[in-house]
Amino acid sequence: MLPAAARRAGQVAVVALTTFLAAACTTGAADSPYFGKTQPLDGQVLRYISGSEPESLDPPMSSGQPEARIMMAIFEGLTEYDPKTAQPIPALAESWEPNDDNSVFTFHLRDARWSDGSPITAEDFVYSLRRGLTPSLASRLAYMAYDVLNAQAYNEAAVFVRDRATGSFVMNPANSLERLVLPGDETARAEALKAPAMALARDKEYVPIRAEDVGIEAVDAKTLRFRMRQPIPFVPKLVSHQFFRPVPRRTVEQYGDTWTQPGHIVVSGAFTIETWRPYDVLVMKRNPAYYDAAVVKLESLIFYPLEDITTMMNLYKAGEVDATYNHTVPSSWIPLVRQYKDYQDTPEVATEAYVFNTTSGPTSDVRVRHALNMAIDKVALARFRRAAKPTTSTVPVGMFPGYPSPKGDVFDPEKAKSLLADAGFKDASGRYDPSTFPASDLEVTYNTSESNRSNAEFVQAQWKQNLGITVPLRNMEFRTFLQTRSRLEYRGLARSGWIGDYMDPFTFLSMYVIEGGENGSGWVDPKFEHLLSEANRQHDQDARYRMLSDAETLLLEAQPTLPLYNNATNFVKKPYVKGMYANPATMHAWKFVYIEHDPAKWD
Amino acid sequence: MGRFILRRLLVIVPMLLVVVSLTWALIRLAPGNFYSGEKKLPAAIERNIREKYGLDKPWYVQYGRMLSNTVRGDFGESLKYPGTTVNAILAATLPVSATLGVLAYLLALVVGITAGTLAALRQNSRVDYASMTIAMLGISMPNFVLGPALVFLFALSWYWLPPARWEGFGVHMVLPVLTLSAVYMAYIARLTRSGMLEVLRSNYIRTARAKGLSEFDVIVRHAVRGGLLPVVSFSGPALAFLISGAVVVERIFALPGLGNYFINANLNRDEPLIIGIVAFMSIAVLIFNLLVDVAYALFDPRIRY
Repeated sequence: MLPAAARRAGQVAVVALTTFLAAACTTGAADSPYFGKTQPLDGQVLRYISGSEPESLDPPMSSGQPEARIMMAIFEGLTEYDPKTAQPIPALAESWEPNDDNSVFTFHLRDARWSDGSPITAEDFVYSLRRGLTPSLASRLAYMAYDVLNAQAYNEAAVFVRDRATGSFVMNPANSLERLVLPGDETARAEALKAPAMALARDKEYVPIRAEDVGIEAVDAKTLRFRMRQPIPFVPKLVSHQFFRPVPRRTVEQYGDTWTQPGHIVVSGAFTIETWRPYDVLVMKRNPAYYDAAVVKLESLIFYPLEDITTMMNLYKAGEVDATYNHTVPSSWIPLVRQYKDYQDTPEVATEAYVFNTTSGPTSDVRVRHALNMAIDKVALARFRRAAKPTTSTVPVGMFPGYPSPKGDVFDPEKAKSLLADAGFKDASGRYDPSTFPASDLEVTYNTSESNRSNAEFVQAQWKQNLGITVPLRNMEFRTFLQTRSRLEYRGLARSGWIGDYMDPFTFLSMYVIEGGENGSGWVDPKFEHLLSEANRQHDQDARYRMLSDAETLLLEAQPTLPLYNNATNFVKKPYVKGMYANPATMHAWKFVYIEHDPAKWD
Repeated sequence: MGRFILRRLLVIVPMLLVVVSLTWALIRLAPGNFYSGEKKLPAAIERNIREKYGLDKPWYVQYGRMLSNTVRGDFGESLKYPGTTVNAILAATLPVSATLGVLAYLLALVVGITAGTLAALRQNSRVDYASMTIAMLGISMPNFVLGPALVFLFALSWYWLPPARWEGFGVHMVLPVLTLSAVYMAYIARLTRSGMLEVLRSNYIRTARAKGLSEFDVIVRHAVRGGLLPVVSFSGPALAFLISGAVVVERIFALPGLGNYFINANLNRDEPLIIGIVAFMSIAVLIFNLLVDVAYALFDPRIRY
C-alpha cells in the first residue's frame, strides 16, 4: 500500500497523461483527403511494406504471397499479372498458343537478357522447371507443376513400366496421354502391383523417371513447349506463378545454396538486388539489362518485411512508407482510413469459409450441414467484417467474367429448423427442438487470430439466435490447427480460407479433389472429380465454365464447406504512387509503378 | 577466485546440453511441422522434405546430430529460411538486440540508481513519493501500452521521431530504448531505494559516521557499494534477457533483432533456429550470472570465494 501522498500523486499523473493523449488525438485529424503525411522521397523511390520476412529469394523455395511480390520485381515469368485485373499479360513470352485439346502449349519467347548480359533462352526454362521438381530440392511448391506431363512422377521419384520384349512403355489405362507410373520404392511398388488392374504391369522392367521425361521442351532457343498430362486451359495463368519463373543456371550451379545472396544473384526482372538484411530491408535497383528497361521509371524499390499491422499503419501515417501489402489496415481502423483516398478496396480472389467434418458427429448428416449454413445471415456478417462481400458459393462471385456462379443456400432460419427436425432433432409434435440437438458435440475450431475469433463469435451468435443452440468455440496455434484439421481431429467445423493460386475457378474447386490437396472435410466424390476433368477438356471457355459451375453446384449440394464471404483487398497507398492498382490478387507489376511529384496529378 | 570462475565455466557445458535437450524434446512434442500450410502437401513432397532435412532418420540419429551441432557451435541451416544458416541469423540480429538492450539498461541504471538513492536519502519526503510513484507507474505499465503511447505522441501527432524501424545509431533508437528501459528503470529505482535504506541503518555506516567521515564519503564509498547489491543480482539475468531480444519492443518498433526471430522460429517450428537461439540465451544467462557473482565479491568485501 502506498502512502496517501503517493497515491494522490499517482492519480494526478494518470489524469495528466490522459489529458495529454486526448489533446494529441484531436491534433491528429486534419482536413486532408489523405491519411497522414504525403511527402515522397526525392527521385523515383518506392518504399513498400511487403509482409512477413521472405523465406528465400529462390523462386521454387518461396511459397507465400510476400515472396511472390518480390519475385515479380526480380524474376520475370513467361506471363505477368496484369496490374488491374491480375489476368496474364505477355512477359518473357511474346505470344503463346494451345493445341486442339489444351494439352500442349507453345510459348514464343522475346529477346531478353539476364542481368549478367547472357540471353534468356528456352533452355533456361527447361532447366528451371526440372530443377524445381528435383526430389532432393524438396520444393513445397512442386505441386504447382504436377499437371505438366510426368512432373509429379519425377518429383515422386517414381518409375515407368517397360515391356522387356518390345521395349515399349506401358501406357496409363486411365489416361491415354501418359505412361503408367508405379512407386519407386520397392515395397510400395510390390504392394501396388497386387491390385488386379495392375496385371499389365507385372513382370516388366521398371525404369526410373528422369528429369528429361518431364513434359517441357526447348523446341529452339526461342520456343518453349509444355506437354500436360491432361487438358489444362489455364496454363498461361499458371505460369505467372513464381514456381515457373526461370532461374540463372550458371549462377545456381556456381554458388549452390547461396546463389540468391546480393553479389551472387543474377536476375531477369526489372529490378536487381542491392542489399538484403533479413527482418529489416530489401533494397532493389533498376536493372539496366531488363528487356523493357525503357518503361521502368522507379530507380529504387525498397521493401520492408514487417508483421505487425499497427506498426505498418504508424509508419504509413508518418510518411515513412509509400504503400503497404494486402490486409494491412486493422479492422478497427477501416472506418477512419476508408474516408481517405489512400484506402484501396476491390474484390479479392479469396473465399473465407468453414469446412465440415463430414466423417463423424452431427455434421456427417448433410441436412445438418445445410441447416447450419442457412442459419447464418451472411449479409450481416459481411457488414460486420467491413471489408468483405457476402457469398453463398465457393468460387468468388463475379471474379471470373462468364463464369455462371451457382447459388448456394440463402439465409433461411425457418428452413434450417425444418431440416434439423427432418434430421431427427424434434419434439413429440415433430417440430424442431433445440434441446435435442447435441450442440456440445460440435465446435468451431479456428487458428488464433483476432479476425477469426470475431467471425466465430458472430457465427456462434447467429446459431444461438436462429436455432437456439450454443456451439462452443476453440482456437489453436496455427500449426497445431493445421494438423488437427488435416487429420479430421476437430468436431464439427474448422476454419478454411483460400486465396486463389491463379485467376481461374479451378483453383478453388480443385481444393475438393483428393489429389489437389486434402481439404480437411473428409468429403470425396468421384462424380465431382469427373466433372472437373471433363470441364478442362473443353476448348470453348463458356462450355468449360458451365461444366465447372455444374461441379460447384454438386459441391454446394453436398456441402462439405460453409462459405462465409469473399474478401476484399484492404491496403493503403499514397496518392503520389501511380501505376499501382487494387487488383484481385494484390500483385503489382513493379515495372509500371512510379512516383508522381506533381500534386496536381495525384489520385 | 580463479578456481571458482573456472569451475563455473565448466558447468556451462553440461547445463547447456540439458537445456537444448529439453528444448529439442519440447519441439518434437509440439503438433504440426515447419512445412505445413493452408493446403495439405502431397505425400511425395512431404517425403522429399523429410528426406532432405534428415527427418526420416531414427530419433536418436537426429538427436545426436543436434547435440554435435550444439557442441561445435554450428547450428546448421534454418528450415524456414532455406539457404540461411542459424549462425548468420544470430550474427545479423544480435548486434541490434544487444545495442538496444545495453542502451536501455544503461539508461535504466543511471536514472534508476539516481532516483532510488535520492529517495532513500530523503525517505518520506516529496522526492521519495514522486520517484516511487513514477516507478510504480513504470512497473505497472506494460511496454505494449507504453510503446504505442509514445509512438502516438512523438511520431504520429507531432512527427518528431520515426514511429518504427532501425537505422543504426540515431533517432530511430530513442523510442524503443525509452520503452524498453522504463520497466527496468522502475525496478532499479525501487531496488536501490530498499537496498540503500537497509544499508543506511546498518552498523558499518554508523561506524563510518562515528569515524567522522564526511557524509559524501559515507554515501558514495560505503553505502552505495552495499546498497547496490540487489541491483547487481538483478542485473545479471536482466541483461542476459535484454541482449537476447526484447520480443514485444522489437515487434512494436519492427526492429531486426533476435526477439522477432525467436517468436517466429517457434511458430514456424524451425528447429535449428530455436535450438540456436535457446543455446545462445542459455550461455548468456549462465555467463551473466557468473559475472554477477564476481561483481558481488568486488562490491561486498565480506564475500570471499
